Amino acid sequence: MTEATIATSQTSAGVVAKPNLVSADGKVQVLIAMQNIWKTYDMGAEKVHALHGVSFEVKRGEYLAITGPSGSGKSTLMNLIGCLDTPSQGDYWLNGKNVSEMDDDELARIRNQEVGFVFQTFNLLARATALHNVELPLIYGGIPSAKRHEMAKQALTEVDLVDRMMHRPNELSGGQRQRVAIARALVNHPSILLADEPTGALDTATSYDIMNLFEKLYEDGNTIILVTHERDIAARARRIISIRDGLIEKDEQIK
Amino acid sequence: MFPSSASEIKPPPVYALGPRVSLSARIRSLPFFRLAAVWEAFFVALASLRQNKLRTALTLIGIIVGVTAVIAVVTIIKGLDQTVAQTFSSQGSTVFTISKRPRVITSREEFIKYNKRKDITEDDAQAIFRLCTACWRTGIAANDGVPVKRGNQKADAVQLRAITPSAMFDIDGVTIDAGRFWSDTEGNSAHEVCVVGSDIVTNFFPNQSAEQTIGEDIWAGGHRYRIVGVLQPLGKIFGISRDERILIPFPTYKKDFGLNVARGAFNTTGSLVVFIQTQTASQLEAAEDQVRAVMRNRRGKTFKEEDDGFALETEDVFLNLYSSATSNIYLVTIGVAAISLVVGGIVVMNIMLVSVTERTKEIGIRKAVGARRRDILTQFLIEAVMVTAIGGAFGVLTGFGTAWLIALAIGFPLLFSVWSAVLGVGVSSVVGVVSGLWPAWRAARLDPIEALRAE
Repeated sequence: MTEATIATSQTSAGVVAKPNLVSADGKVQVLIAMQNIWKTYDMGAEKVHALHGVSFEVKRGEYLAITGPSGSGKSTLMNLIGCLDTPSQGDYWLNGKNVSEMDDDELARIRNQEVGFVFQTFNLLARATALHNVELPLIYGGIPSAKRHEMAKQALTEVDLVDRMMHRPNELSGGQRQRVAIARALVNHPSILLADEPTGALDTATSYDIMNLFEKLYEDGNTIILVTHERDIAARARRIISIRDGLIEKDEQIK
Repeated sequence: MFPSSASEIKPPPVYALGPRVSLSARIRSLPFFRLAAVWEAFFVALASLRQNKLRTALTLIGIIVGVTAVIAVVTIIKGLDQTVAQTFSSQGSTVFTISKRPRVITSREEFIKYNKRKDITEDDAQAIFRLCTACWRTGIAANDGVPVKRGNQKADAVQLRAITPSAMFDIDGVTIDAGRFWSDTEGNSAHEVCVVGSDIVTNFFPNQSAEQTIGEDIWAGGHRYRIVGVLQPLGKIFGISRDERILIPFPTYKKDFGLNVARGAFNTTGSLVVFIQTQTASQLEAAEDQVRAVMRNRRGKTFKEEDDGFALETEDVFLNLYSSATSNIYLVTIGVAAISLVVGGIVVMNIMLVSVTERTKEIGIRKAVGARRRDILTQFLIEAVMVTAIGGAFGVLTGFGTAWLIALAIGFPLLFSVWSAVLGVGVSSVVGVVSGLWPAWRAARLDPIEALRAE
């Protein structure tokens, strides 16, 4: 896949390899490597730096929360991790691929294959059934319809919603909608599950259910990144990165 | 639970910094359109059209009106063309003529040039009869304009057409309504007989049927002829009747008027028209070549000379003239009708822009889960083309319907062509692509972050 590129780049650019990031069985163990990431917004007269040189790594199977007050650069960082945007400066390696200078269509491909989004407001297609919503990433991944159905059904089984798969979002409760969204995020077997305030629109009990589901997914070996401003939600993760004023304030392993 | 896609990476990639070329290249080499995404776009478009019924209906009407106008105009024009073609082709496609002047003269200079040519004579006709092996039937005709009188009824200039042999009736494409054609015996013996067009009966025998005029006499150019037959009406062309004429045997005409003697007195050209008919249309060209050779030889002309000294014509001459005279008018008419199609296209564009604005969030979601620009572009293009193609199909039907009603009212044959139907749907689909392109492009270029924020 990318080994040829990296081998070439190694010789041509003469940069240092980091062999310890790949395990003995050949898997990339460092899924995310952010290296001195800057994000600058050009607001006409002045330039606004949303991130000023952020660096961190996330290993396969980690459960990470990114927290910070609003305006801290948290959302910007999430957009970068989710490949919805590219950094102004710095390198972002996702599952062995440098995505920092990709164009729109390449980013779309990465989002399709490597990232599973869970949003605060679910972001399901209102007119489509739960099953169709879960199939959506597979459609853009070019998976044939029979296989698509099978995969989507399996993902809905994982979130315990297969019996409601022919329902539309407005026929489902908030918790069920979020589980559909999680199934959609998981269906393509992405490298990371990226959840942006996943309980922000849910009541406490339902939030608890959803957080338990994340816990289960983590135990199954998924890499999860939560973006939240709620300390108690963040506390469910194993590691917390706190962002303030576009910089990492704290990066702590909590369990 | 879900195996990581990273397990596909073998052998282990070495993590490093450096240029990022080959991954991009790999992604670009992916198929341009994914069938799954195109199907998705198709069903999404269908659902969207169904959900906004009123909007869809109004858009459809915009396209239907445009296509109806174009299809109706094209169909009516084709019908008129067919009418004209049938009118001119009474002689059939196996007939051509040799005359001194072409039937269509477009300038005074041409007229002068053609007038200097030698007359076509009976000797010319005889030579053609004798030497043209590809020819099947031949005949000669002389046209004159003479005063006609019967009792109190008079007319100053009626066409007097002298023909021989009687096969010329057939070559001319005329049929008998009452009575009979004269026989070759009567013709060759220069009997004073005639066959008249239906207008002669109307004008000179008021209140008499065609049958009742058989055996009656009529005076033409100072000579009396007995009517033996009345022709089936040919009808008018460009408002001029083709039924006000008297046909007499050529030997009779020669006896009564002479050829050159009559010149001036009765406005005759003194020149004959030779009619040649082949058995099949495929022999026409060979016959034309033979006759052309014979006539050039008789006129002492070589193939290098610009003017042959005679005119060899088929009925196409009239058709060509007709086409060249009317084709520009047709183009303008179709162009005007097509303007309504442009208006329909603008309606589609407007609706699509609204649709894109309304569905910004949906576009954001689709982009977040991996839809590329071209996937979004395809989706909205398909929606636009779907409206216009359906509108086009309906428009073809209503267009044919309109043409049918007009044809019924005016009275001409109707030609429904598959081509115009295909063209109607095709052109409206192109209108869909053109008018959908900009809205679709705007949708495709939406920033996913911005789009996801939309409500």
